[in-house]
Amino acid sequence: MITFSRSLLVGGEFLNETTLRLHGILEDHIYAMEIQMDIRIADGVILAIEGWMKRYTTPVCPKAVDVLQRAVGLSLREEGWISKIQREIGRPGCQHFAEILVECGRCLDAARMAQAMGETIRNEPPFSPFQIAQSWVENHPEVQGSCLARPKGKDDAH
Amino acid sequence: MTLAFMRNKVVEVEPSSEGAISVSWRLLDSLTTGEIRMKFQLPDLEIKEAEARLQRFPHLECSEALKLIQRVVGVRVGPGLRKIVQGLMGGSSGCAELTEGVLECCNAVILHFTVPQVQVNEKGSEEERRMRFQAMLKLNPRLVRSCVAFADDSPLMEGFNAK
Repeated sequence: MITFSRSLLVGGEFLNETTLRLHGILEDHIYAMEIQMDIRIADGVILAIEGWMKRYTTPVCPKAVDVLQRAVGLSLREEGWISKIQREIGRPGCQHFAEILVECGRCLDAARMAQAMGETIRNEPPFSPFQIAQSWVENHPEVQGSCLARPKGKDDAH
Repeated sequence: MTLAFMRNKVVEVEPSSEGAISVSWRLLDSLTTGEIRMKFQLPDLEIKEAEARLQRFPHLECSEALKLIQRVVGVRVGPGLRKIVQGLMGGSSGCAELTEGVLECCNAVILHFTVPQVQVNEKGSEEERRMRFQAMLKLNPRLVRSCVAFADDSPLMEGFNAK
């Protein structure tokens, strides 16, 4: 029998050419909460954020909703942004809000790549998804060096 | 406005008959479909088995990351876990998605043990609940100041003495 289950859902929509809106929903045996945040694509800065607590464990937990506003102005591109969210949102507010926020933040580049791939597939069939992804990474130095599939560009190696 | 990207993550915990806990983790998003299966041995929550599969992924190299998960076998769920797992599977020569997946599996095991505590804390008067929360903090002192509910100025912390 399943004794604990968690679902985390993130949806991304481009409001315009400069702003990405991410919705994050967490639902598990203990907690249910949700975040919506707008991100400036160029520098990853959080422009606006809202949160909803739907199920939680203590009467104090809803106070964490206001703490979310500390994320406004934070950049998802700056070094150590995940630690900063844990420090600024998790500890003074709610660790689970911080988890949703981090997951949304980690979807920023995935959403950008998915959008670029979708456009290429629509405009230039036939296509190779691997080639499109590789080409996208080569043209976006900000995501290079993040994992074994995205090595740093040759120019950055020196 | 239509969605440009969607990610769905599910993690499930199931105790097994041989004194172990099995965890299943699945990731499905616009670019990737993958899963992790792990087994944790009680009572010290040592990772006994770990395997990963990727059915769909954005880069050819992603499949090379699958073997990295074997490195976490033998690691115990406890203090410093994030740093240990990131050192073994993350960084520029690892895979962020699988690393997070392993950490989310470990977190789910902890939450599996938290559910009964939370269920007990739901009952009784406000005062009884406060006392039970404080008893929980004495057993898990790392939770003190971990969130707004357990901050120094929280009403739940009135009269709390860690000793």
